[in-house]
Amino acid sequence: MIAQEQKPIEEILGYLDGKRKIVAVGCGGCATFYHTGDKKAVKEMAERLRKEGKEVTEVILPLGVSACEIDMSSKFLEKNRKAIEDADAVLVMSCGDGVQVVCEYIDNKIGVTKPVVPANDALGLVGGGPTKFKETCQSCGQCELGKTAGICPLTSCGKGLMNGPCGGVREDGKCEVDPEKDCAWVKIYERMEKMGELDKFTEMRAPHAWSKAKRPRLFTIEEPVKPVRTILASLPSYLTLLGGPEYEMLMLF
Amino acid sequence: MGDEVYSQLMKELKEGKYVFTGELEPEKAGDVEEPIKAARELVGLVTACNVTDNPQSFAYVSSLAASYKIQQETGMECIYQLRCADRNRNALLSDILGAGVLGLRNILALTGDHVSLGDTPDAKPVYDLDSTTLIALIRKVVDEGKDLAGNEIHNPPKLHVGAAAAPGAAVLKAEIAKVKRKIKVGAEFIQTQVVYYPEVLDRFFKELGKVDIPVLVGIFPAKTYAQADFFDKYVAGVDVPPDYLQNMKATKQIKDKEKRKEEVDRVNIEFFTSFLEHLKDTPAAGCHIMAVGYPRIIPELKKVME
Ligand code: SF4
Ligand code: SF4
Repeated sequence: MIAQEQKPIEEILGYLDGKRKIVAVGCGGCATFYHTGDKKAVKEMAERLRKEGKEVTEVILPLGVSACEIDMSSKFLEKNRKAIEDADAVLVMSCGDGVQVVCEYIDNKIGVTKPVVPANDALGLVGGGPTKFKETCQSCGQCELGKTAGICPLTSCGKGLMNGPCGGVREDGKCEVDPEKDCAWVKIYERMEKMGELDKFTEMRAPHAWSKAKRPRLFTIEEPVKPVRTILASLPSYLTLLGGPEYEMLMLF
Repeated sequence: MGDEVYSQLMKELKEGKYVFTGELEPEKAGDVEEPIKAARELVGLVTACNVTDNPQSFAYVSSLAASYKIQQETGMECIYQLRCADRNRNALLSDILGAGVLGLRNILALTGDHVSLGDTPDAKPVYDLDSTTLIALIRKVVDEGKDLAGNEIHNPPKLHVGAAAAPGAAVLKAEIAKVKRKIKVGAEFIQTQVVYYPEVLDRFFKELGKVDIPVLVGIFPAKTYAQADFFDKYVAGVDVPPDYLQNMKATKQIKDKEKRKEEVDRVNIEFFTSFLEHLKDTPAAGCHIMAVGYPRIIPELKKVME
């Protein structure tokens, strides 16, 4: 999941300065998990903006409908086509991916060019939960986990070293860069030791191939999977109970 | 790795001479007058001097430029320190080749402190390579005339490469495994981080076992209490003994400048005489004296090792 937190409101208001009609678009994916784009967050944001004298249209995406998955989120944008056409700015309450996907859709499919601004700061691919999460992967394109006892040297090591530990490990085995975090290379050592694979530790790992991280990446899959549609279709009673946009979601498919 | 010797440092180490090295620090300045002055004071006292590369991630005069100027103007052989923190593999290769062109013959390959420790914490840290892969790169350049991608290098430079080690590392077994890895890929000498405790040194040599490259042990006779305190507080893996710190602190009370200097020297000589006596009984091939701006202490320390 993409962790995220809301930007300081002053920054958001700065982007919306001089813009009166605002469309606030939420996200039913990661942003709902991190309370940065769920129904409540959109409503609170709308209230805040109204206090600034703005006219706000709320576009709430139900759980399971991520802003970035345009095939689904576009249904909600289309329902608000008029408001978007009239808007002075669109505020997207998702990660930067969602912001850009929505921006592209508005440009190309709604056919208007509007300021599209972010409400959140994306903080990376994280795992864990329900309340504590840790960034563990930066999608480098050439996974090294097979050489590093299943701990990402690029993400979990403060310096992204392929051959640690560095000389900065703290007294308590914490990282030079952040005393709150464990040294990833001490962890790698300990796991290899337990698995009887220390010979791998003393082998040099080649420098990481950054050629695999050329950006932006474009990606094609042969056939789209429809997990969300399938799940939603199989849970009609749950969705009906929830009502609101979730129910509308069911009606759409 | 061949048997060729390109530098005085390597020559003396190979001959089994007990070697002393010093340390010079370029500054945030438009000149290298200070390290040149310091180098002049060290000529004849040490075989070679390390020239630091942005220590603690503060950006100073390039270590490459400083090493060249110091070597050219004072005749002091330099050990050019090169960190991975600020350069990707292309920039590192350029500097390695540049070092050869400028007549430098020794490089100490370092990973480098993170930029967040420095005076410009918003800088982007690089770490495209680490100390191990940097050593491998230097060896490949020198021995095979090739870079990491296998590209040919015409007329490759003649350089020796050294590695650092941290005897006081919190997780010593991982540090030892890393040092062995660096030896395996071709490090030719080791200079350790500062050590103050004989027990720390003994534990390090015991865990390291027999290695076939020379190890120079780092010591830091502090010129002022503030220097010693800084090491104790801010340098990872270095513990300064409380007694020594206390004695250094007491020197601050002495008003007369000359008397204070004498007392600082006395504290250092007393402490390091016993440490160096112990060092004689270890497999150390030499001593790296990081007494920055404090050359007058070196002859006193050398006497102990005679
Ligand atoms: S090496 Fe790390 S960043 Fe790259 S794919 Fe694997 S876990 Fe992700
Ligand atoms: S202390 Fe460990 S995790 Fe932190 S930068 Fe050094 S090697 Fe990486």
